[in-house]
Amino acid sequence: MKELLARLLSESPHEYADIRFERNCKTRIRFEGPHLRGIADYETSGGHVRAYEAGGKSIASFTDPKDAAPLLASCKESARLAARHRNDRLRLAPAPRLEGSFVASPTADPRRISLEEKQALLRHYNSLILAEPHVVTTVSEYEEFYSHRTFVNSEGSSVDYDLLIVNIAGFIVTQRNGVAQRVRFAFGGSDSFSGLIGREDELQERVVSAVALLDAESAEAGVFPVVLDPSEAGVFIHEAFGHLSEADGIQNNPSFRERLTLGTRLGAPILNVTDDPGLLDRPGSYIVDDEGVLGQRTELIREGTLSGRLHSRETAAAFDEPLSGNMRAVDAHYTPIVRMSNIFIEPGTSSFDDMVASIENGYYLVGAKGGQTTGDQFTFGAQWGFRIRNGRLAERVRDINMSGELFGTLGAISMIGDDVSFAERGGCGKGMPQQLNSKSGKGAPHIKIDTVTIGGIR
Amino acid sequence: MNELIRYARQHVDEAEMYWRRAHETTVLYQNRCLQQINLNRLSSVAVRVIDGGRFGQSFGETPERTAIVDEAKTVSMFGDPARHAFSHAHAYNDLPDADRAVSAMTGADLVALCEDTKRAILSHRPDLTLLIRAGTSSERLVIETTDGVHAESETAGLHLAFGAPLQGAGTFIHKSHASSSPFEAPTDLIEEFLTWYGWTEQASTPDTGRLPVIFAPEAAFLYIIPLCFGINGNAVAKETSPIFNRIDESILSEKLTIFDAPDLPASPFSRAFDDEGTACRRRPLVENGILRDFLLDLQSASMLRRRSTGNGFKRQLFGSGTEVAPEPWPCHVQIQPGTEPIDKMITDLDEALLVTGGLGFHSGNYSQGQFAVQAIGFHIRNGRVSGRLESTMISGNIYADLLDIEALSRETRDIPTGMGPAIEAPYVLVESLAVAGR
Repeated sequence: MKELLARLLSESPHEYADIRFERNCKTRIRFEGPHLRGIADYETSGGHVRAYEAGGKSIASFTDPKDAAPLLASCKESARLAARHRNDRLRLAPAPRLEGSFVASPTADPRRISLEEKQALLRHYNSLILAEPHVVTTVSEYEEFYSHRTFVNSEGSSVDYDLLIVNIAGFIVTQRNGVAQRVRFAFGGSDSFSGLIGREDELQERVVSAVALLDAESAEAGVFPVVLDPSEAGVFIHEAFGHLSEADGIQNNPSFRERLTLGTRLGAPILNVTDDPGLLDRPGSYIVDDEGVLGQRTELIREGTLSGRLHSRETAAAFDEPLSGNMRAVDAHYTPIVRMSNIFIEPGTSSFDDMVASIENGYYLVGAKGGQTTGDQFTFGAQWGFRIRNGRLAERVRDINMSGELFGTLGAISMIGDDVSFAERGGCGKGMPQQLNSKSGKGAPHIKIDTVTIGGIR
Repeated sequence: MNELIRYARQHVDEAEMYWRRAHETTVLYQNRCLQQINLNRLSSVAVRVIDGGRFGQSFGETPERTAIVDEAKTVSMFGDPARHAFSHAHAYNDLPDADRAVSAMTGADLVALCEDTKRAILSHRPDLTLLIRAGTSSERLVIETTDGVHAESETAGLHLAFGAPLQGAGTFIHKSHASSSPFEAPTDLIEEFLTWYGWTEQASTPDTGRLPVIFAPEAAFLYIIPLCFGINGNAVAKETSPIFNRIDESILSEKLTIFDAPDLPASPFSRAFDDEGTACRRRPLVENGILRDFLLDLQSASMLRRRSTGNGFKRQLFGSGTEVAPEPWPCHVQIQPGTEPIDKMITDLDEALLVTGGLGFHSGNYSQGQFAVQAIGFHIRNGRVSGRLESTMISGNIYADLLDIEALSRETRDIPTGMGPAIEAPYVLVESLAVAGR
């Protein structure tokens, strides 16, 4: 494949061009309630080309390999057209020529497990949930994604590499007296099947919480101090700050970019944030990105000060900052964009008990339930929470969302725990059209934020 | 008949083929400069089979690879018993042929549209960090079943979106338009965008409490998506929908009439058949606040012992795609407008919010009708817009809070939302919602 792609590039010379071709194998099993709604085990393929010409850029996705050569030629023409409507030339930061193969070699390879065994495991977990009183339905999904990618560029880089991730996730719906609640569960999120085994106890805990929420009060709307559990804090740092560290989001927004100059103080000196694709067994781990650049650990915030950024070759040139290897596409239908790998808040020194004890009237938010950001504004939900009164955890609450403004909220982080943990399932939507990336990791310890807006239903 | 279906007839009991081919061209401007031109040539196939009474599926790129049928047959051995058959032959509504003038548009044509839009905006606001995206999509969709369905459509759509971030921020004010025919830079939309952008200069945060709220058409998804989940046939069959037993009862304000409208002229979202080959029909979902019908695909129809309503679409809350299983969704939501001009609705209010979007919708318990989002939009005081909303959340439940609707505007906009279906909606004034602000 490498030779074929290299030949295509040599037959259609560009100032710069690259081709990525993928073979993607997916296994998906889905239960809805007691019924197996879907089971599939299949392979698709496709490719993506990018061309830079005269300072302009054009890209194309294709499914039929026969389209690759004509699309390369069309991209050359389109890139020239694009260049005529720019004031400056797009440039790529120099990157070392990369050659070789980076193959997935997990300890317990899910590709070697039979479909029957995968289905039986999922059915087992799903049945456990359904056996509980007040559970009215479930969605339980097994997802395995193996992508073998070949990347070749006109500068001589030529690599093939694997991405492999497997997880079980879904949600539990409980209902009583006309009140229904939904709680998510997820585990796995690495390239090894072993993370999917023996998770019954955690699943049972989730069911207990989903039932307990039926009796919980809705959160009260207003402005409060909060403690976030590691799952919530991980989503917070991903949504509220992480997306702003992706350079393509601010590359063409000059006034916002100015507010995010390296060296800007963003928080207290206790705050340290890092992105690292090299962590073992995390959802966002990888070796090489979809631009042929090795993934690197990047310190984003050091002692409260903005210290680094995530880049493509194009944004690294535009910002005159070092490459980070964060250019990634979910599959061949999409062009790579700058994405976090595994972003996390590094541990502090506070204990969870001290954080709760420091709050007279506030909330403890537990369990990530998704989030959204526009850059400086963010909102995300919690699976459930607890009221904090007079320094102690009080009643359980539900229907709880928090929102805020990035700069003010980062500055309001006043305590950081010593208990970092990572979410086992990734997931992040970005781009237009939206790319939903399951290979996105996040982690954090407990943190305390002095003021956030809580949007409860009450 | 496609070769794949012919092969399937010989090897499995029943089969359905969904084959989509798309040619897409998209031009993206960032900070007024052309950032990239995107040319896509994509083909994808989904095959579902029933064999030995069990259900299986597989996916690929083209129907020329008949082995997809064998792969689906293999996994059907692990599948549960099939609970419904595939679609049988239908009579479909005639939709206009795809406009060749759209299919023929080149990257240079899209650049010209973007340049015209850019000029029109920058002539009024030369300071804006303008983002513009224009694209065409020409799509051929074929659905065939072994039971005789041959549904085929060719559609073409032109879409344009433009916006600009607030000064020193990442939050955008934006507008979008889509049509099945070519159009020029839309002057009315540009004018509205400039008005909205002008309102952003001052920030304003209301006090925590309850306030009237006007939902702009751009924010209609905040109440329509919860409704879509409420009338989703699967949720109805499982009785997890809060309105599963409320047919012919009042669930929303009597001022609200909501159609599923797959037949809107000039809409690139119009469809003669759904993604399971069932005919799509225009019908009321909510009429004067009364729930009239649910959305059924083949699966939910079988659970409810009814026929599919032609609402099986390969769509999720975020996005759509060949590998997505069909789910009950409306094709194209149309909310009947009222008679009030939006300007008068605003001037009649002492204090209110004009909500044009919401952040974090998917974090809420939307399947139960709830929403709790950071409000994007404007603060109205003394009959005027006093500034953009900052640090403000709104929350509520559509089945409680949308019982009291004061007015609907006569103006409507058709919004190709990124979440769920396209929605044609007026401005909707709700009597009061919970607001978390100062």
